[in-house]
Amino acid sequence: MPDWKEEVRRRLSGLKLAPAHEAEIVEELAQHLEDVYERSINGGATEAEAKRVALRELAGAGVFQKEMRRVEKPVAEPPVAGAAGRANLLADLLHDLRYAARMQRKNLAFTIIAVIALALGIGANTAIFSVVNTVLLRPLPYNDPERLVMVWEDATRHGYPRDTPAAANYVDWRDQNQVFEGMAAIADESFNLTGTGDPERLEGRLVSANLFPLLGVDPQIGRVFTAAEDQPGAQRVVLLSYALWQRRFGGDPGIVGKPLTLNGESYVVVGIMPARFQFPSSDDQVWVPIALTSEQAANRNRHYLQIVARLKPGVTLAQAQTEMSTIATRLQQQYPQSNTDLGAAVTSLHEHQVGDIRPALLILLGAVGLVLLIACANVANLLLARAAVRQKEIAVRVALGARRWRLVRQFLTESVLLSTLGGIVGLGIAYGGLILLKAFIPENISQAREISIDFKVLGFTLLVSVLTGLIFGLAPAIQAVRFNQIDTLKEGGRDAATGGSGKRLRSLLVVAEVAISLVLLIGAGLLINSFLRLRNVDPGFRADNLLTMRIILPKPKYAKFAQRSAFYTELIQRVQSVAGVRSAAVTTNLPLYRQGNSTSISIEGQPEPPPGQEAIIVTRVISPGYFNTMSIPLLSGRDLTDQDSITARYAVVVISETMARRYWPNEDPVGKRIALGRARSDEDWIQVIGVVKDVRQFELTAEPRPQMYLSYRQAGLFEPRDLVVKTDVEPTSLAATVRKAVWEIDKDQPVSNIQTMEQILGDSIARQRFSMLLLVIFAAVAMILAGVGIYGVMSYSVAQRTREIGIRMALGAQTGAVLKLAVGYGMKLVVIGVVIGLIAAFALTRVMSTLLFGVTATDPATFTLISLLLIAVAALASYIPARRATKVNPIIALRYE
Amino acid sequence: MPYKLSQMLDRELKKGSAELLILSLVEDQPRHGYDIGNLIEQRSKGRLRFNVASLYPLLYRLEKRGWIQGRWVEKAGQRRRRYYRLTAEGKKVLAAQRHSWQEFVEAINRITGIEHA
Repeated sequence: MPDWKEEVRRRLSGLKLAPAHEAEIVEELAQHLEDVYERSINGGATEAEAKRVALRELAGAGVFQKEMRRVEKPVAEPPVAGAAGRANLLADLLHDLRYAARMQRKNLAFTIIAVIALALGIGANTAIFSVVNTVLLRPLPYNDPERLVMVWEDATRHGYPRDTPAAANYVDWRDQNQVFEGMAAIADESFNLTGTGDPERLEGRLVSANLFPLLGVDPQIGRVFTAAEDQPGAQRVVLLSYALWQRRFGGDPGIVGKPLTLNGESYVVVGIMPARFQFPSSDDQVWVPIALTSEQAANRNRHYLQIVARLKPGVTLAQAQTEMSTIATRLQQQYPQSNTDLGAAVTSLHEHQVGDIRPALLILLGAVGLVLLIACANVANLLLARAAVRQKEIAVRVALGARRWRLVRQFLTESVLLSTLGGIVGLGIAYGGLILLKAFIPENISQAREISIDFKVLGFTLLVSVLTGLIFGLAPAIQAVRFNQIDTLKEGGRDAATGGSGKRLRSLLVVAEVAISLVLLIGAGLLINSFLRLRNVDPGFRADNLLTMRIILPKPKYAKFAQRSAFYTELIQRVQSVAGVRSAAVTTNLPLYRQGNSTSISIEGQPEPPPGQEAIIVTRVISPGYFNTMSIPLLSGRDLTDQDSITARYAVVVISETMARRYWPNEDPVGKRIALGRARSDEDWIQVIGVVKDVRQFELTAEPRPQMYLSYRQAGLFEPRDLVVKTDVEPTSLAATVRKAVWEIDKDQPVSNIQTMEQILGDSIARQRFSMLLLVIFAAVAMILAGVGIYGVMSYSVAQRTREIGIRMALGAQTGAVLKLAVGYGMKLVVIGVVIGLIAAFALTRVMSTLLFGVTATDPATFTLISLLLIAVAALASYIPARRATKVNPIIALRYE
Repeated sequence: MPYKLSQMLDRELKKGSAELLILSLVEDQPRHGYDIGNLIEQRSKGRLRFNVASLYPLLYRLEKRGWIQGRWVEKAGQRRRRYYRLTAEGKKVLAAQRHSWQEFVEAINRITGIEHA
């Protein structure tokens, strides 16, 4: 008998099989040949014939080798055919990814729409998160920042729960407390820099020498202050900000050790602070030791300091608060005259710097989260529709043995790939959005300039993208693999997801979209409503055609009242002679600047109030003509005139209507007399000569407080520093001319903060505008997405019902009736969504109440109007596809499969 | 039909149906290669024949896909043989292939006008 094994082995030799494997094949095939051979022999063939027959089985050695080579090659598997379950996860993932990428390319239009929707949602989230990250989450750039606190005087009684402390209180707090490692005082000061180049006004701070070690910040060049330099009469020294150093001194390190002329005095530069350092605000350009004199340190009436302190390790904010309250109570008993009702309040530095932007940011973050949810719902709907189309593909794969969870994973890979694409595009949107956002974010949020996309933001975007993909992918994935594949095969690909649960899921998504976008729209509506009311608040003056600039006279040069008075008089004269200027005036503080002075007064003929309950009056020192320039109406009495001067028989004051009402409720205040502090002699009395309309001095949202106006010609109490000019032409066009007029009087006099009153008015509501604008944008995006979503679902459902509609029309149904039928289904969903949305909005808008002005969080008009708006949009979105359905020729519709 | 085209169609049909044939044959009981080859030839009354060079590569391919599984079995008085049985996955594939084959045949019949009694 021939050696079959040898025959087979020879034909396998080119394949280089593993010896054990080859042996098995050889054995199996040899046996087959032997069987054939034996059968031939048994059938009566000769040995030679039998051998030939057997060998014919291996006919065409080339064919055999080719076939075997194909088998031994790694098999190209059909997509997700199940056997891969044993293979490793990574290979599966790569496979799924390639398949998903192929699917996306095949359905490019679908991919683009889904990616845009997702990119909008993810981009908005990334942009807002990067603001939240920078402003709320990123630790302040100081050593151990969580132990840094601000300490305030609690003067709630006077309406200032966080008032700037008086120096003597600060000294007592500092010396008596056991909870702080250190306490430093800061006071505002501005400096006129002269001597090199144009005169310039610099914002600066007077600070305790220990401020920098307390914050844990070192200078970039040079050194910080020594304790000896923080004494009255010590050598004058200054630290410069990095920005000032770069801008004014070209970054020359040689400036350290050199003198500068500030406010006409010589200061030695001892150091440059690092670029990132900004304390307390980003405007600060110079720091100078505060060097409190013993007289200043004993003063309990001038409340002007800001106090920053560092908690001892292990001491909590609450413990510090308790300790400070105890000290404050002791001081109340010790100094009843000044400290009655005066407490102390400790707040974290972070909270102080972040301020009241926190609720707005958190609400915006919530809002963009909702926008993303709507985008998810939309994409989920698209995927559901596509899953219906893909059912045959899925059925075949299930039939070929693909496990269901494996299919779910394939679907999820596809949706996560989609959302990741959305995330990448979204990053681009976020990047562009941030540039816009930075233009709108109110400047007084200290970290606003540092807002950027960092690794934390990138991580956030990645996380959101993946989560998004899982959320919108899960429902369609489960839906797609849940049906019976045999039925699908039998039906030849008819859409099984049209009935039952598929339709239910799509309807649910529409309801959710409507409800969520209603919440957002109502939120935006409330903010718009607030903002409009805010815009309509009468500030008490007319802001149009007003040019303002700040002119602060340096103390050493204008030390005497007469010098200052002469400067203002000449200033007003010169400015008023400029062509295009109608009138000009000076004041200590323009309205809505969030700063200014108050004074306690006594009233002639009225009993002296107990300590702590004196009348505190917002005080402005102005030039006659201020009311006229600002268009503040005089209600009774007369205006200040040039004759009300230091040489006049008595001093005069103009008061506001609120002051008049509060202190002379049923009388005419004109002719009555008041005194600043207490009247020690008859000369101290000041006569009320007129009453003007209230002006919102601090912010538009606050009710006006009692105010009074003194003339700069009589009162040396506070020095005017703001010039305001009423113009006949566009106000900024006169800025250069007016500034030149100032320099004609004094070539060294800096002029700063040149802006129109309208800008100041706008800046004062910048925060509200910021929140409103963003929420309106997000709500608009939400409404568009929801509209598109409803449109998509309605188109789909109408397309499914084309045959039914055709039959109805063929049987004589009127277009109107058919429309009603089709739109009715959509509107039912919308109404359910609106009802749920209204309930949710009712519960959720309460968190916005701190952002609202003049409307309640449940304002019925806003709720009604916005609901109607959304219903209108939804009606349109379902009308268009329904209308299209009625245009269909019944014959075609009947044939439609 | 020109001879060349008819031959080509035969080859393609055979190739397309070979998997289905093998899966069907091992559906009820495990069989070895020689047995499978014989059954195909007998049941098709000699019209279909796979020689060793084409049958075994096909078996190995199906095995590699996990649709059938081969095992050496020793029976008393006989040399050991490799028996192939249908796997769970193979069962599903067989169902699907039977279904598509039926559809295909029906479609062809509808077009070519062959009526069943």
